[in-house]
Amino acid sequence: MAFWFELVATGLITGGIYALVALGLNLQYGLMRIMNISHGEFLMLGAYLTWLGHTVLQVNPLAFLPVVALALFLVGVAVYWLCFARIIHTAPAVEVIEARSLLVGFGLMFLVQNAAYLAWGADLRGYSYLAEPVDLGGARFMANRLVVFAFAVGASLALLAVLRWTLIGKAVRAMMQSPTGAQLVGIDTRVLHPVVFGLGLAMAGIAGGLLSMVYEISPGMGEPYTVTALIVIVLGGLGSAAGCLLGGMLLGLVEAFGMHFTSPSLKMLLSYAVLIGVLLARPKGLFAR
Amino acid sequence: MREALLSARGVSVRFGGLVAVDEVDLDVHAGELVGVIGPNGAGKTTFFHTLSGVLSPTAGRILVAGEDLTGRAAHVYATHGIARTFQTPRVFKEMSALDNVRFGLEFAGRTRRHAHDAFDEPAAILEFLGLAEVAAVPAGGLTPSRQRLLEIGMALGARPRVLLLDEVAAGLTHAEVDLTAQLIRRVRDELGLAVIWIEHAVRVLMSYVERVAVLHQGRKIADGDPRAVARDPAVIEAYLGDEGEPERRAA
Amino acid sequence: MMTLRDSILATLLAALALSAMPWLLSAFALSLTLTCLMYAGLAVSWAMFCGATNYLSLATAAFFGMGAYVTAWGAEALPYGVAVLLGGLVAAAFAALVGAAVLHLRGAYFAVITFGLGELVRHAITYYEKSYAGTVGRVISAPPEAATIYHTVLLLSALAVVTALAVRASRLGLALRGIGADEERARTLGVNTRRAKVLAFSLSAFFAGALGAAMAMRWTYIDPLSVFNPFIGFQTVLIAMVGGAHTILGPIASAVLFSLLTEFLRLQFPYLFLIMLGFLLILLVLYLPGGLASLFARWRWRKSNA
Repeated sequence: MAFWFELVATGLITGGIYALVALGLNLQYGLMRIMNISHGEFLMLGAYLTWLGHTVLQVNPLAFLPVVALALFLVGVAVYWLCFARIIHTAPAVEVIEARSLLVGFGLMFLVQNAAYLAWGADLRGYSYLAEPVDLGGARFMANRLVVFAFAVGASLALLAVLRWTLIGKAVRAMMQSPTGAQLVGIDTRVLHPVVFGLGLAMAGIAGGLLSMVYEISPGMGEPYTVTALIVIVLGGLGSAAGCLLGGMLLGLVEAFGMHFTSPSLKMLLSYAVLIGVLLARPKGLFAR
Repeated sequence: MREALLSARGVSVRFGGLVAVDEVDLDVHAGELVGVIGPNGAGKTTFFHTLSGVLSPTAGRILVAGEDLTGRAAHVYATHGIARTFQTPRVFKEMSALDNVRFGLEFAGRTRRHAHDAFDEPAAILEFLGLAEVAAVPAGGLTPSRQRLLEIGMALGARPRVLLLDEVAAGLTHAEVDLTAQLIRRVRDELGLAVIWIEHAVRVLMSYVERVAVLHQGRKIADGDPRAVARDPAVIEAYLGDEGEPERRAA
Repeated sequence: MMTLRDSILATLLAALALSAMPWLLSAFALSLTLTCLMYAGLAVSWAMFCGATNYLSLATAAFFGMGAYVTAWGAEALPYGVAVLLGGLVAAAFAALVGAAVLHLRGAYFAVITFGLGELVRHAITYYEKSYAGTVGRVISAPPEAATIYHTVLLLSALAVVTALAVRASRLGLALRGIGADEERARTLGVNTRRAKVLAFSLSAFFAGALGAAMAMRWTYIDPLSVFNPFIGFQTVLIAMVGGAHTILGPIASAVLFSLLTEFLRLQFPYLFLIMLGFLLILLVLYLPGGLASLFARWRWRKSNA
């Protein structure tokens, strides 16, 4: 019994991270149709920043998370202005925005990843944080994983709350539903877009920071998370925030169980199989409205 | 009664909770020039989408010359002889006008024989439409009214049996609308096609078609001789709710 | 614009001239020419599908790697030429399968899926090698001569160019252009868009796979990490876009340019070089989406209208 509990819990913990990363990407796509496939690279940057904070500045990683979030938010605003704003303003159709932002994201991915290689080298880095086991409900977990789960879910729920109840959240949702209408009531996309983009990258940064507490980091760590986030978004239905949360958890569970019953190396294959299966059966995603 | 070329039986289209088209029946025979009118939001264009295979009806059937094509892809409709234009002209902007018309001939047009042999060449079609002089011009560089004509040319290139025209006269002057209507009449007369024509320019349509169907909130509320339909109280009421009596609507 | 026949003739003549290189060039220069040819073939076949339809495929690395592994697995049992052909066919079959499943979805979904394909295939092969073959990498014991590899790659690239030319002049090419311009409109004019896309996608994958199979013999040791190198996919896209994905000559010229750049800069400044390339792609997409070919076309238009 404890064994199944552990398996489910492991799946949910991974799923929490997936959900967080996917939420960020989903914000960017849902609002601006930007498919940022370099998203995972910013997760990686968040991980490295946290690591630097811990090893160089001796700051508690959890306490450093807000700093990382802010830093990545600012980076996001800058990246939006430099790389994506022009696409949004000059593209004649939505498909063109998607296509061009994909290519720009592709270039960014190479740029950021190799900048990290240049700065920190290819060796794995890491630190130890809260690596003590904890007993919970008869099963054993590492304290850091529990913390990661709690914070990932917490951040996701906080984002959902922001979207639902704050003015800016409402503006975002209004824009997603009707761009013209939203602009007519005075919502300024020149402010909204960079803010939302920054928010998305901040989510990735937090996820990266959390991951650095548990796993070792390397410049190439981000890409698999991008792919997984894309799968989650498609699963959950592009544009649906709650769908990301559920989709992320679902994927985490599928991976945990799949890995256990088949093999850890098949993790990606499983996610992919799920993706293709969902796309064939329900092209709009599992939870799309 | 001769068999209908295009037949819609109980066609409905639902988007979530919204019913855009509500159990519409329509039969169109060879050589008929049928108008479809209705206030804004009546579901005319959505109905067209089902007739051309662009959209699958939620319920009902679409038969082309007796063959049930419900749910098939749009290209199947095209190869069975249904060609259409869109509300906003969708031409291939980077290709020349000639290539735009040639496109239909290369694909759907290959499988069909035209009543009028002269339409084997894209140049002949352009000539018919009065676009011969802009044959080499990229379609994106043409004026909107010419693009509309080009769209008809593209549809003719597909050698259809039934031509679906979606608001081809929108935004044109009185004179241009009359010219377009005459062109449509010629298409039917000289090529023996059936033509279904959606138009907001009700005045002009009514004087050129032999039969008109009226859609209102997704349902067909009238179908018959234009003069009779114009006097139909249900039709008048539908239009009063919108803008005014159909026969007095300015183009 | 040359006629189709003349273009093909020109290609074959150029290929003939290039076939003499193994006896004229130093080993280094030959290797450089080989790289140019490989990227020319990859870029032209990529543009054949993606340029016309405006669908973005990031799957080149996956097809290339698959082809490489076909050679690696078949090296003992199959003659080189057969392995290369098989590599292409396997990649094409895989593309047809994936394409049939996802090409009818919107472009962004398609791009995303092709993006993950490289990872997917790499993981699958890694798993297979470890679990069933009991190995991580493979050693190529008896590679063919450098000249043989060169001629094979030359043949494949020339074939890619000829195929691209033929497709462009054919109904398939017209269909692809229609799909790129307005897919739904093309459908209403009778184009079976799904079939056209799958066909062109598979064709383009064939060349990527065959080139991968051919090039694999240059390395003496093959493992999934080195073979499924995302750089190849990235470079292919960049080259095609810089040259102008709607043309054939553009990617060829661009391939030569980039191969030279890569050769001289990559080993000196590996990371910096990749950073610059990433930067270049971004600039390109933002300010010159049509590539150099569009600049050229604009210049030519301006001259003729002066």
